[in-house]
Amino acid sequence: MESNILVVENLWKFYGREVILKNINFTVKRGETKVIIGPSGAGKSTLLRCINLLVRPDRGRIILDGDVITERRDVHNIRSQIGFVFQHFNLFNHLTAIDNVLLGLIKVKKLPREEAMRRAKEALLSVGITEELWRKYPAQLSGGQQQRVAIARAIAMDPKIILFDEPTSALDPELIWEVLNVMEKLSRNGMTMIVVTHELGFAIKVAHEVMFMDGGTIIERGPPNQILLNPKGERIKRFMDRMWYLYSLNRSSKVA
Amino acid sequence: MNNVMSWIKDIQFFTYVNIILSSITTTFILSIASFILATIVALLLSFIEVFGPRPLVKAVEWYVKIVRGIPLILALFIFYYGLPRFGFPLPPLYSAIIGITLVDSAYQEQLFKGAIEGVSEKQIEAAYAIGLTKWKAFRHVILPQAFRIAIPGWINEFSIVLKDSSIAYAIGVTEIFTQAVHVAQVIADYLKPLLLVSLIYLCICYPLSYISNRFHRRLIEMGMIGS
Ligand SMILES: Nc1ncnc2c1ncn2[C@@H]1O[C@H](COP(=O)(O)OP(=O)(O)OP(=O)(O)O)[C@@H](O)[C@H]1O
Ligand SMILES: [Mg+2]
Repeated sequence: MESNILVVENLWKFYGREVILKNINFTVKRGETKVIIGPSGAGKSTLLRCINLLVRPDRGRIILDGDVITERRDVHNIRSQIGFVFQHFNLFNHLTAIDNVLLGLIKVKKLPREEAMRRAKEALLSVGITEELWRKYPAQLSGGQQQRVAIARAIAMDPKIILFDEPTSALDPELIWEVLNVMEKLSRNGMTMIVVTHELGFAIKVAHEVMFMDGGTIIERGPPNQILLNPKGERIKRFMDRMWYLYSLNRSSKVA
Repeated sequence: MNNVMSWIKDIQFFTYVNIILSSITTTFILSIASFILATIVALLLSFIEVFGPRPLVKAVEWYVKIVRGIPLILALFIFYYGLPRFGFPLPPLYSAIIGITLVDSAYQEQLFKGAIEGVSEKQIEAAYAIGLTKWKAFRHVILPQAFRIAIPGWINEFSIVLKDSSIAYAIGVTEIFTQAVHVAQVIADYLKPLLLVSLIYLCICYPLSYISNRFHRRLIEMGMIGS
């Protein structure tokens, strides 16, 4: 078994004349958690959306588990193997929490109802969504609960990798913890994940590697301590100084 | 007001009420049949406009543009006075149903198209992200949400059709408005029968608008439409 589950090679994306991603290269090992940080407009979301083919890259290859997915036409089959967790949760508003998880299992995986039910419940419990919340609609859940249901929806599909696009940045500070906690547990249990986040504590504690993106390229990458605490380039130093400043402000305001 | 009150005490009042109400079935048949037929046509047209091939989309757009430009009374006249010339004489009620269906289908088409397009891009992305195909995303996410989004407007549209059905008076369909006018002519007093018939329309439309508003509020609560 190859240890690289995801290979991104020479990836380019343009919107009109504008270069959004230029020559992105990286690999993700099985069980690895990779964190991507970088300023707004760096192309982080676009990169994640290219990986699950919500956006078509213009050049380059993406290889998922030995499969060159950028050449596949049945994108829905590829997407069913990749979990995606959105900044704004994107739960199906017309479905209850458990039905949100069931939809993919029944309509995409085509599991029999009982089997789907068993897996949905297991997934929901693993993110701490207990039985009394299963029949609630997204609008009746807190942001933290919604995001955890969204994570359950992703993990129930038994994906090869889960992509998180700023999963906590739409949450009130006191709800961020419960989501990060679930993600940390996932990572420890060997799930492969790429996480775009500005939660520095999470990155330091959980990430195996951190990549700093700016202007559509990966500027610097390395172990979290190196990138977050001792970055080399001027641009990233300035960025990290600001991030740590905000981060400590958040922490102190929470303590106070 | 005094005048009206004394009229209510009048024994004749109930006779007139009865005459007007005796035609409420026609009003219902006319408005419900036109409305449901218009809904069927509009659903087909809106699916075509949202998912169909380019030439058909253009055709639907033109249909809507043209039909929305036709005054309702004109549509009724076309089907009542116009068709017999081509050898299709229709009873007034049928002409009225076809005329209202034609015009209302254009309005409902816009309603349904708006509802389908009103489903948030985020919801559609989430549907694709779990691996649903285009068709399954439509079937299990877009359609159920569009259906809910369309409900308040659809209920209101029925109120409009119900009131518009009074135009069938012009081609001699005996529905409640026609009856009210007949009574008015007999007793040589327009105000009272017309007030009465307004009250009947109001009694049907007010609860409908209440229900529609409830649905609307529920949709906002569920986050399916912006407030
Ligand atoms: N559909 C689109 N059409 C045109 N330009 C786009 C589109 N989507 C994104 N962009 C542009 O691509 C660039 C990168 O956007 P992207 O959302 O990937 O950045 P990001 O790093 O995720 O930023 P943020 O932290 O704000 O989420 C931005 O300049 C954005 O304006
Ligand atoms: Mg982004």
